Amino acid sequence: METILIVEDDAKLAGLLQTYLSKYGFLTVIVEDFSSVLDAFLDSGADLVLLDVNLPKYDGYYWCRQIRSRSLCPILFISARDSGMDQVMALENGADDYITKPFHYEVVLAKIRSQLRRVYGSYAQQPEERTVRSGPLTLYPERFAIQHGELTAELTQKESVLLEALMLKEGRVVSRERLLDLMWEDQHFIDDNTLNVYITRVRKKLKELNADNAVETVRGAGYRLNIAGAP
Amino acid sequence: MKLFLRVQLPLLLFYAVQMLLVPLLYWLTGEGRPLSIVLYGTALSAAVLAVYLGFRYLRHRKLYIKLNDPEAFLDSASEPLGDAPLPEAVDKLLEIYGREYRDQLGEEARRVDSHITFMNRWVHQMKTPLSIIQLTAEELDDAAADSIREEVDRLRKGLEMVLYTSRLDRFEDDFSIMPVSLRKAVSETVAENRRLFIRRGVKAEIRIGEELQVYTDAKWLRFMLAQILTNAVNYSGGSGKTVTVAAYSQGREVILEIRDEGIGITPEDLKRVFNPYFTGERGREYRESTGMGLYLVREICKRLGHRVELSSQPGEGTSVRLIFDSGIF
Repeated sequence: METILIVEDDAKLAGLLQTYLSKYGFLTVIVEDFSSVLDAFLDSGADLVLLDVNLPKYDGYYWCRQIRSRSLCPILFISARDSGMDQVMALENGADDYITKPFHYEVVLAKIRSQLRRVYGSYAQQPEERTVRSGPLTLYPERFAIQHGELTAELTQKESVLLEALMLKEGRVVSRERLLDLMWEDQHFIDDNTLNVYITRVRKKLKELNADNAVETVRGAGYRLNIAGAP
Repeated sequence: MKLFLRVQLPLLLFYAVQMLLVPLLYWLTGEGRPLSIVLYGTALSAAVLAVYLGFRYLRHRKLYIKLNDPEAFLDSASEPLGDAPLPEAVDKLLEIYGREYRDQLGEEARRVDSHITFMNRWVHQMKTPLSIIQLTAEELDDAAADSIREEVDRLRKGLEMVLYTSRLDRFEDDFSIMPVSLRKAVSETVAENRRLFIRRGVKAEIRIGEELQVYTDAKWLRFMLAQILTNAVNYSGGSGKTVTVAAYSQGREVILEIRDEGIGITPEDLKRVFNPYFTGERGREYRESTGMGLYLVREICKRLGHRVELSSQPGEGTSVRLIFDSGIF
């Protein structure tokens, strides 16, 4: 399990990131004393650092150089500043990537994963594969597979994304907008009809696993995964 | 010369009166003098006056030339006018005015500068609370969360507009021209604004060849695209419509066209869409309209050396074209 050090002076934002990242199986440590970020880094044994630029006492660039002098671990900047100059500054001070506020969780997660993959090798070689569990269902988002008891089914990438969103919020409604947002493609707009097609496919896959009717349509709102409701 | 003569006119009149006084005195006292000696005296005296006036004119020439047509000499305003007492005094006066003016100008520039700095800091400060609201809303489920997300999107766009508007004043230090892939810039901007498309049920269609590149600043281009796309989606007028972004080359130029199927713009509004704060009849129906989007697009185009054109068929749609000078194929 990877440890992520969160250096962000807004306690609320740090807390939100912590909650989100632990949901995806990361250990997180939040820095509380901003006069000794380097000590906190060394104590935590972090595998990756999320670093804000505007910090009390010294700025993020300073701490980035300090950490760089002791470790090669990936450092991701999180900052409200978005000019090219700031990004250049960050990279020149030893950062690996730059995320601008306001950001979405998925962006942070995707960048963390890509850095970890690059530095510590691919997930396939990791002893622990990322899994999403929801009742008797287990999803393996990295190899697009879903398991229910003894049965396993292969998924496409889109089906996996859909199921992951539904499983993470099991029992609660996931809005159509949210699902369309997650499934957005580079070139094409995924319209309602296409979403229906994907939902139908997911239902068929679940049926193969004897988990019929687990995906409920909530009229006018979206979809809900309800394992308990399934026979 | 004309001004000089006008200034010296009282002297000339005074002199003429003097010249008449002497023969008058002779005549009154009855002292008969031949006319020739009187004329000789007058001529001699006039010659001395001419030398005096000529000398005076030469000493003050620069001053009079400049006073005659001040506009023509704005560029050389700081050139000294000469070393005669009057030009020197004028020089001094101008210098004092000039210094005062420059001081005020400098102060004004500093004021604008510190205002821009404040705006930038402030916008950046607002981004952390915005992140928190956005992330908190992502965790919520009900319809209220969707509405919060929508408002957060609008706040984010509003802040961005403030930031870019204030950056426009410092454009010289804030751009770099590079070859930019149009396809990449457009699809990333569309993806960034995908929630808007989804919410309005408007489809996006991108028809741009992979190889098409233009010389521009990527950041400003994306800002312009976001403005135009937001307009296109907001004025599409309902779900099921499509916004098409296409690019093609025409001679040396590359044209990027963003076309919607919306209600269009009436011919009388068409002339004013690029004016700042112009929102038009339709604009007032959308809360988002600040009337600044297209104005900023035109200003940015001007600075980057691109052109922007807009055409519209009421009831059929609007198309905005960005025209780039020369592309790379």
